[in-house]
Formats: sequence, structure tokens, C-alpha cells
Amino acid sequence: MIDFGLPLLIGYTLLPFVFVLLSNYLFEKTEFANYIYGLLAVSFVSKLSEPKRNDFLKSIFNKYNYKKLRILENIIYCLPFTLFLIYQKQFLFSVILNLCVTIIMLFNFSTNLNVTIPTPFSKNPFEFTVGFRKTFYVFPIAYFLTYISVTVGNFNLGVFSMLLIGITCFSYYSKTENEYFVWNYNLSSKEFLLEKMKTCLTYFSILSLPIIITLGISFFNQIDILIVFIFLCYAYLTTIIFAKYSSFPNEMNMSKVILIGLSFMFPPILLIFIPLFYSQSIKKLNTILND
Amino acid sequence: MIKIKKLSKFYGKNQVLNSIDLEFEKGKIYGIVGENGAGKTTLFRCISGLENYKGNISYDNTKLKDHLGLLLTEPFFFSKITGKEYIQLLANTRQIELSNIENKNIFDLPLNQYASTYSTGMKKKLALTAILLQQNDVFILDEPFNGVDIQSNLIITEIIKRFKELEKIVIISSHIFSTLANTCDEIHLMKNGEIIKKVKQVDFNNLEKEMKEFTVGNRINKLELK
Repeated sequence: MIDFGLPLLIGYTLLPFVFVLLSNYLFEKTEFANYIYGLLAVSFVSKLSEPKRNDFLKSIFNKYNYKKLRILENIIYCLPFTLFLIYQKQFLFSVILNLCVTIIMLFNFSTNLNVTIPTPFSKNPFEFTVGFRKTFYVFPIAYFLTYISVTVGNFNLGVFSMLLIGITCFSYYSKTENEYFVWNYNLSSKEFLLEKMKTCLTYFSILSLPIIITLGISFFNQIDILIVFIFLCYAYLTTIIFAKYSSFPNEMNMSKVILIGLSFMFPPILLIFIPLFYSQSIKKLNTILND
Repeated sequence: MIKIKKLSKFYGKNQVLNSIDLEFEKGKIYGIVGENGAGKTTLFRCISGLENYKGNISYDNTKLKDHLGLLLTEPFFFSKITGKEYIQLLANTRQIELSNIENKNIFDLPLNQYASTYSTGMKKKLALTAILLQQNDVFILDEPFNGVDIQSNLIITEIIKRFKELEKIVIISSHIFSTLANTCDEIHLMKNGEIIKKVKQVDFNNLEKEMKEFTVGNRINKLELK
């Protein structure tokens, strides 16, 4: 079986290595790794507390077996984190973590907030409408970082804050929508892709405009570098849109994800990827849009 | 007019639709009935162009898809999109300018709530509202009455009747025979991927009887209910 363009067997074999690598990286980078790691583990385990799921389990098992099952699954879910904490000789933290996930078992709660978050992109759903609601907290952080970059005179930090918005918008195009929402368009494949590009680049520009203006004024002598980074953001956003539809209606396969990942080391390669993904997208979309 | 000639569909070696010939005229309502797995949804997906097929489907020398409102059995919704935004999205796909969506909310849906939190019936009503506002000429409604309350059922029936006056083509599938008998001009009976019978309005009563005898027969006796 193949998922994300990788055979499942290889995927499952790689997974523990990736987990250990990332965990190691975290513990090397910060002294607060214990706390971050604990929070990550708890948020991961809390997915099992969804009310619907637990109502179903309660309807099948009696009270005693239900509690036993929930404690067990929480501890098993948290096991990779526990083992790594033990490896790091963080015995107290591993005990506290297991106590926490055992207590979580007593509560059923939804991890999805159903409060409607206002969005400026309501008129043109769906990527930025949905994406903004999932990542709205990133924007004040990015604007605050820009403010700091100006006050301390750090241009690089300012550019980073713009890239943060770029990466956030990039993530809005990582998931493939149901084919119904593409089929509905009465546009040709080319028009459809241009429409998607136009929306994406316009909304990215709107979101990053306060940063661009602030940096442009405060670091006028480095405006050429700023322009290069703006165009890099445009190029990557275009790439992800084309890459997404080049596999449509399937999810983007792992090989494309790796290619895009590698392009971060050598961005000029996008000059090859963009036309390549574009032509593949046109082919895929032609079948859905009956072009 | 939609003309379907020798439409066949295979999933691997499994033939799901077998050389179907059908014609759908403007200003008429058509019902498609059949058991689960008879091929109704596949037929709809082929007509709408969501599936590849063998054979020919034509519509007044234009692209049918661009004039078609398709209501799926289980409409799909994004996780953080409101009812209003869903309607806006579908209108945008056809470059329709919508104003005052709240006024067009005939099913009184909570349009500012996330559509994914709606009940099955509400989702169906929202999806139906969205395709109605797309100003289509052809409608394919796969189980439009499923999970919908009785008041909305009446509204949907009236909308379908209004479509007839507006010279639209409507194709409906439903497991509730009475709703089809109330609205359709013609009903096509499907079995194992084939159209086995076409019945005009005057013969609907006979069709219902036949279907009952054919489908129910003495099956229930096998349960030996006591």
C-alpha cells in the first residue's frame, strides 16, 4: 500500500526515526524542551477525549472497562513521549506526564472550537477563509515581530516576520479539497489556476502589506533585499498551488513534497518546478473541468 | 435536451452501468428509482462529468457541467466555513454576484454558524440552497429529501414543481416513492446498472404496486415474526 507517495512499510519504519530526530532537535535547542514536550504529548493525547468517540465507547463498554480502556489508550498514545523523556533522564517529568494523561481520561472535551471566528476573507472562500480561522494568532505575532525588528534595528527579524506570513499562507494550500469544489467552476483549467493564483497572491499581499510598508520605510537602504523576498514568497505560493493541482484529486505525493522542500536550499530551481507543475495541473484539471 | 447514448461504466472489471439510453427534456421532472447499489449515483456522477465513461452524453451543444446544479447524497463541507460562505463559494464558482444572502435563506438555516456543525438535514438544505442560487438550467438531486424535516420537504417539492414552469430539467433519485409520484413526469427504474422500466405519470400507481410486490414479496415472512 502507498500513502503520501511512500509505501506504508517504509513510512512506518521511518516514523520512529523522524520522531526521535525531531525530539532530539527540540531538546538540543531549548532548555524548556521538557515543558514543550509535555504540552505536545498532552495535546496529542487529548484528541482521544472527543465527546462523540467517548459516547460511543461508553455505549459499548461498562463503566469499569471503559475507564480501564481509556487509561490504557492514553498511556499507550503517550508512550513514545514517555520513552524519550526516560532516555533524556527526565524521570520526574515522565511520571507527571503519565499522571496528566491518566487524569485527562476523566474529561471529555472537543478540541475543535466551534465559535465562528470573523475573517476578512468571507467574500472569497475557501482557502484563506478556513486558513485564517485556523492560524489567526500568527498575524499579530508577525506584526509584533516587525515592530521589534524596527525598534532594535534588526532587518533580518523583519524579513522573518514577512516569511512567517508567507509560510502560513503556503500551508493553506497543502490540503486537497473535495473534487466537487473544483468541478463546480465554469472556467477552463488555465482560468481556474489563474483565479486561484490571483486570490492567493492578493490576499498574501494584503496580509503582509503592513510589514512590507514598515520595513520599506525603516530599512529603505535594504529595499532591494526586501523585494527579492517578496518575490520569493510569490514564487513559493505559486509553486504550492500548481503542485497541489498537479496531483488532483489525490493528495500531493511525498516526492513532490521532498522536491519543494529541497528547493528551499536552491530557490532558482523553482524556474523548472513552476512550469512543470503547471503543465501537470492543466492535465489533471482538464479531466475534472471537462476542458 | 440531455441525450444519453449507450452509457456504460466499469470499475475495474466490474460493470456498474450497462449501455444506458436516456433522454431528458426541458420542463420535465424525472425520477430515478432502484435498490441501493443499482447504479443511480454512478449514473449521476457520469452525467455530471465527475466520472469517466463509455458512450455519449450531450446537452444542446454546450458543456452540461456549467449549467448543472448537483446535489450529492452526502454533501461535503470544510471544517471552518459558515453556511453563508458555503453559498458564496458555490456562487463564486459560477461568477454569480450574490447580494443579501440572508434574504434568500428559505430554510431558515443558521448561516453564520460553521456548516460542518449542521445536522444531516440542515447540510442537505444548505447544499440545495447553494445550487439553487447558482441559477442552473439542469438539476440533479440525489436523495434531496433524505434527513429533511416535513416542512422543508414541502418547500423542496414546491421548488421542484416551480422548476417545471421555468423549463428546467430536473432529475431526482429518492427512496420515498410518494415524493417522486408528487413531482415527476416520468420515473425510470434501475436495476444492476440498467434501466429496466420507464413509467409515465399515469402509470405511477401500478409501478408502486409492482415495486412493492417485486421488492417485498414474501421476504418478511422469512423472519417468522411473532
